[in-house]
Amino acid sequence: MNLPPHLFKATLLERRDYGCASELVFRVPPGFQPQPGQFLHLLCDGEGRVLRRPFSVFGHDGRSASVLVREVGGGSAWLRRRIPGDELDVLGPLGRGFDLDVEGEEALLVAGGAGVAPLAYLGRRLGERGAKATLLWGMESGEEYGALPERLGEEIDLRLATADGSRGKRGTVLDLLPPGRPEAGFRYYACGPRPMLLALASRLVPGRLSSLQVSVEERMACGLGACRGCAVPVADPPGGYRAACREGPVFGGEELDWERLRVSI
Amino acid sequence: MGTAEGVDLRVELAGIPLKNPFLVCSGTFGNGREMSELVDLEALGGLMTKAVTLRPCAGNPPPRLWETRWGVLNSIGLENKGLERFLSEDLPWLSRFDLPVWVNVAGFSSREYVEVASAVSRSGMVAAVELNISCPNVERGGAHFSRHPGEAAGLVARVREVVDIPLFVKLPPLAVGMGEMARAVAEAGADGLSLVNTIPAMAVDVERACPRLGNVTGGLSGPALHPVAVHAVWEASGAVDLPVIGMGGVWSCSDAIELLMAGAGAVAVGTLNLVDPRAVPRLVEELRGFMSAKGYRTVTEMVGLLRRKGWR
Repeated sequence: MNLPPHLFKATLLERRDYGCASELVFRVPPGFQPQPGQFLHLLCDGEGRVLRRPFSVFGHDGRSASVLVREVGGGSAWLRRRIPGDELDVLGPLGRGFDLDVEGEEALLVAGGAGVAPLAYLGRRLGERGAKATLLWGMESGEEYGALPERLGEEIDLRLATADGSRGKRGTVLDLLPPGRPEAGFRYYACGPRPMLLALASRLVPGRLSSLQVSVEERMACGLGACRGCAVPVADPPGGYRAACREGPVFGGEELDWERLRVSI
Repeated sequence: MGTAEGVDLRVELAGIPLKNPFLVCSGTFGNGREMSELVDLEALGGLMTKAVTLRPCAGNPPPRLWETRWGVLNSIGLENKGLERFLSEDLPWLSRFDLPVWVNVAGFSSREYVEVASAVSRSGMVAAVELNISCPNVERGGAHFSRHPGEAAGLVARVREVVDIPLFVKLPPLAVGMGEMARAVAEAGADGLSLVNTIPAMAVDVERACPRLGNVTGGLSGPALHPVAVHAVWEASGAVDLPVIGMGGVWSCSDAIELLMAGAGAVAVGTLNLVDPRAVPRLVEELRGFMSAKGYRTVTEMVGLLRRKGWR
């Protein structure tokens, strides 16, 4: 059961720039306990922007938390221009996070681009619990996220794939998976672009979809399940939707309607 | 809280007493429960529920949201659990609070509107029905009623027969004919108006050459809609002697006061709830400060003030 979210002004403590993205580290109130996979809803000011923007929790140490902001539009660009001492308007933690119980199996964390954020946090938490976890991370080029791979590599077993082959394995993150049909013994946790999630799901034999948990990205408004704006197609009921913000953003592989997800790319 | 500092925030709409003039718009507050972890529901003047249809409704294909400059496009498509679960799960939970509830009733046929409105009225847990004949996002979702005063009046008259509580009609912004529409639904038996629903709108992804919304078109809300709402309230309140709940892009206390002065008896906050779930308690305090500074003792002194000052 998740604790109720907080709505608070957070002082930005530090901004660490990593190539195309920045980690924003800010102070959090007492009792702030985000689960891996939960997200924070951040207000982005200026130029007629109206809605908050959701970011998965990237780090948390009790007194501070962080998100990884990749610049994709005006809102994220505004956030990346914040400097220490600035105030952020934060709502969270929100949503349903990952199930951390790997039941003795090995965790493979499959990340595409900025989808690494929730998985890096998850990886640290799994490590603390003594679970074996490996972070597989795909990106365009070795320079794309600056020195972030080095930093994450100090905390978790990390393997990289780059599209241009400039670092790690040439190819996509899926090329880092065990060859052939993944056998029993692995738990898959994934976050990244929709095509990556679809390709990963299709690699798993249907009976193994329950070993997959994915964090989906959707445009959101309220973040609380009230407006039903962030609809994700689910298998049950057929034709139905769940709200990414409240019933997600983490869904079990068997919960999602992968055919409708494919159509709506 | 009504009379602190010599300022009385209470208003009455169609005989329903509200502790302050701020309601929350349908579709922006769920059925209260989703927001209740963050805001005291009893701080609201009133709550307008998410639209209820006879049967469960899955809603429109995603994407359902797109942000524009100072606006939000949505095409939710009336996603809801249906009348039966609304009556057994949501309404009993909401009725524990000291909070007048308007139930937003939608339908895909006149018969469905009548059936839902009748059951809601009989529940005994509701202050008023808000008849949603202006959802822009669903084929046959009522929007055709709001294009023709005769059709709107016909539906209102049928619903009126089965509803024993105040009946509000939610209309879209109309570029022309708002007065005519208001008169038609008033003569058919409406007790009040909700003005305005979202305005039909659309956005295009030019890189991929496709619509931004899965439903192709949607409805525009947010600050961009606000002056349109002020105009609609002005036109309707000049045409009929019914209480009007003004809504549309209220982002500040002065936005709300504009609607009051144009003729609204109360206001509802919509899209702002999606950004700040605690917006209404904040606006209530700002209104108290404004009234105190300006020497208004009651909200009613501001309602329709422009016309009382002679503006036409």
